[in-house]
Amino acid sequence: MSLVDLSSDAFIAAFFLYCFAFLFYVIAIAGKKWSNRDPFQHEKRWGRIAFITSSLGLAAHLTFFFTRWAGSGQIPTSNMYEFMTFLGMAIMIAFTIIYAIYRKALLGMFSLPLTVIIVAYASVFPQEVQPLIPALNSIWLKVHVTTAALGEAFFAVGFAAGLMYLLRVVDFNSETKEARRSRFWVEFSLYTIIIIIGFLVAVFGFRAAGYEAQFSQEMSTVDAKGIESSKVETVDYTLPPIVKPYNSEVVHADSFLGMTDTKLEAPSWMNGVNAGRKLNTVIWSIIAGTILYGLLRLVFRKPLGAVIHPVMEGVDPDDLDEISYRAIAIGFPIFTLGALIFAMIWANIAWGRFWGWDPKEVWALISWLYYSAYLHFRLSRGWQGLRSSWLAVIGFVVILFTLVGVNLVIAGLHSYAGTN
Amino acid sequence: MLSIHNTKCECGHQNAVGTVLCESCGKPLMEDQQQNEPLEMRYDGIARRSQKKNQNLIDRIWSFFSSVKIAIYLIVLTFLGATLGTIYPQENTFINNFDIAAYYESTYGTPGKIYQMLGLSHTYESWWFITLLVMIGTSLVICSLDRILPLYRALSKQQIRKHLQFINRQKTVYSAKVDEPAEAWVEQFAAQLKRKRYRVHMDGSALLAEKNRFSRWGPYINHIGLILFLLSILARSLPGWQMDSYITIADGATVPIEGTNYYVKNEKFTVDFYTDDELPPELKGQARAKLYETAAVLYTCSSGCEAGETPVLEEVARHDIIVNSPLKYKGLKLYQFDFDLTPKLISVKPMLINKETGEQYGPFELTMKDAALNYELGPYKMRLIANYMDFAVGENGEPTTLGREPNAPAFVFLITGPGLPEAGQPYMYFPMQKDKEKFGQDQINGALASKVEIKVDGMQNVNFSEASTSLNVRVDKALNFVWVGAAISMIGLLMGSYWQHRRIWLRIDDGQLSLGAHTNKNWYGMRADVAGALQKIGVTVDPKSLDNGGNNA
Repeated sequence: MSLVDLSSDAFIAAFFLYCFAFLFYVIAIAGKKWSNRDPFQHEKRWGRIAFITSSLGLAAHLTFFFTRWAGSGQIPTSNMYEFMTFLGMAIMIAFTIIYAIYRKALLGMFSLPLTVIIVAYASVFPQEVQPLIPALNSIWLKVHVTTAALGEAFFAVGFAAGLMYLLRVVDFNSETKEARRSRFWVEFSLYTIIIIIGFLVAVFGFRAAGYEAQFSQEMSTVDAKGIESSKVETVDYTLPPIVKPYNSEVVHADSFLGMTDTKLEAPSWMNGVNAGRKLNTVIWSIIAGTILYGLLRLVFRKPLGAVIHPVMEGVDPDDLDEISYRAIAIGFPIFTLGALIFAMIWANIAWGRFWGWDPKEVWALISWLYYSAYLHFRLSRGWQGLRSSWLAVIGFVVILFTLVGVNLVIAGLHSYAGTN
Repeated sequence: MLSIHNTKCECGHQNAVGTVLCESCGKPLMEDQQQNEPLEMRYDGIARRSQKKNQNLIDRIWSFFSSVKIAIYLIVLTFLGATLGTIYPQENTFINNFDIAAYYESTYGTPGKIYQMLGLSHTYESWWFITLLVMIGTSLVICSLDRILPLYRALSKQQIRKHLQFINRQKTVYSAKVDEPAEAWVEQFAAQLKRKRYRVHMDGSALLAEKNRFSRWGPYINHIGLILFLLSILARSLPGWQMDSYITIADGATVPIEGTNYYVKNEKFTVDFYTDDELPPELKGQARAKLYETAAVLYTCSSGCEAGETPVLEEVARHDIIVNSPLKYKGLKLYQFDFDLTPKLISVKPMLINKETGEQYGPFELTMKDAALNYELGPYKMRLIANYMDFAVGENGEPTTLGREPNAPAFVFLITGPGLPEAGQPYMYFPMQKDKEKFGQDQINGALASKVEIKVDGMQNVNFSEASTSLNVRVDKALNFVWVGAAISMIGLLMGSYWQHRRIWLRIDDGQLSLGAHTNKNWYGMRADVAGALQKIGVTVDPKSLDNGGNNA
């Protein structure tokens, strides 16, 4: 068995350990109300079991990372699959550090599903080792990507704690305008997370069913000299087409509920690589996520926020606020170093300029400015707690856009990280 | 401005206008803070220049830029503005100049046209974006100056015995009855704090313990770094501080770098692709580049450097340039930028043929670059009167060239000789067969075409390069300042983020212990320190119970 195969097995082991760890964290928190037990002892015991499981998961994940590195001879952070798995691992490292400081089992209940979703999202992308293109062949690939991802991982933990704060403090009984608005946005945040899960369900569902469709797309491009040229490319779909690529014809499409073609085309202004396929995927994610959300509402017969809220009782909101702030404060210097300073050093070596206003660079700067605004807001009265938690939640959306969204809708120098 | 009567504290200390907490004993002076709520401890309650009353214009500007609220607005506006520039590609992503307005409209339709008209196609060079950056820079300077000096003063002359209100209205507090003699208790507690690396000062039954004060300077050091960073970016617009140009060099060719005394030779450009064995199944058959390499030599010109002269070159540096490894010499850097694998004509060795007699003269060497002006071939004399490296017919039917690369070279000779007018007759010559047909060489030359012909005989008389490389030439004198600024900023960030300034005040009055503690960040750690030290002297408290409410700053 080669090292790369061993590494794949370790990855699967890590994934399942994370799932179990999540389950155990839920038991640690939700099980406190079960009869015939001392809540404090219960949380302590199950919290420890969960933490051991999640640490084993992290160990397996590290095994995956280093065996893949050894087996392929290059650090596994060079394409979307490798980067996303690394981000998942970084979140677990950040979680472990924050957990070591605060020892709150509840934190695991929110950080673990985040890791599970990101690791599952990584698996959507092609997993084979791809030899490095010249631009990526540098020591700075290792340094820049790993530190940037670790900084982002702390922001992710800050996001998890911020979301917990919101679920803890939002009033689910009051009918004031304020309370209703908060409830709506908390519910909307949860719905968004479920759409991401919906994306995973759709992709893996149709992949298991072996669905395929193909389009030929005529693309016209204008090169640097201003000369227009056109070429025909084939675009492969793994989800049934609701939207086809701009200016394209169906070549072949498996039938799905009798559909073999679609009249809808992606708008021409979407410039990313394979924009049509991505838009189609987004639409499928929303459909699958909405169905999933609807089913959950049917099962619980109340908003999801109201389902989770009671679990949070007895948790001190100030602690959550503090954890969220601290995670972001720890992550900020790491992010600055990795996503800006190391990035500038590498850009200077590879491209001859330390800053070029490439969309990915701009979005890294936007994320940085956003979090520096957050840190300054914390100095002002009235911006702790509720508002600060919202900022932490929105901040992670900005980070996700920088990581994934930029590649999805904007083309640029970082477009090597192919997305689905 | 001299409102002495209301700024003098009961302890006798004279405070400046705007002081929130007495600089000496810490008694709250502003009674708009509600009684018994935790105190506003920002900047230790010092008075700042920005809080001056009766402000003149300069004071107002100072106050404006010293406000953290304004700083936040500026940051938010800047990142919102920056998002606009990522909607469509920016103009600077196109290297060659072409009709930018037409490009945006034809590629993105009306939104593209509006985008370009609003100037968003060069967002980051636009006046409003630069103004925002300059304002952020100003805010960094003024915010820092406004706070750092008074804060430094306040922290360097702290009183040990603080006002009871000051202690009891901290965010972390503890009070209890102490049965032991006060001074013995304080000594005991001080010993524990010292073990936690606090610097402890005692004044009888009062105590001040402090650690990591240096972390307070972190944000200011960070700001100084950022200011330096912004200034060095501005400095790049000074003449001579920055150079950014592109040169294309065919294999074996040597070209000057314009605006400098340097010449670069491309000895050989190589591109390697991954073999199928090295690629995973999904990528087999694709040309995935493994390496681009230009074997480059850098020369300086020692004499004959003027145009038209033959330069004398001295080798100064030699490097195999690859992506991520530029050639560097005295601040000049050459980066691998692009390459072109289409063969480029270097020279041809054609013959001149008298079509009437069939006599051939030559061959003579005709180089694409810096071709000789006069040629003597038997009875014929030729003078080169024009050349076009990338021949095209212009809008008015005039011959023109599209560029300096020999993609479609054309030469115009003035030929004199047997059977030709004395003044000579112009003859147009296309070395490449495809151009000869495309542009109709014989039609252009008319009657002359039936008298003489310039013709290359066989490929052995054609000399071309297989590849050419494009290098990006950079000089950036501000770069070192950029790195120093970034490093200073990073050091400040680390100081301010990973260490916290923690202080504990306590006093025992008639057996009543009052303890207050303050930190600028991480209250959890602050409480743990207090609870831990108390634990060691036999007082068990839940760290959480020390919390007096108020905000997590």
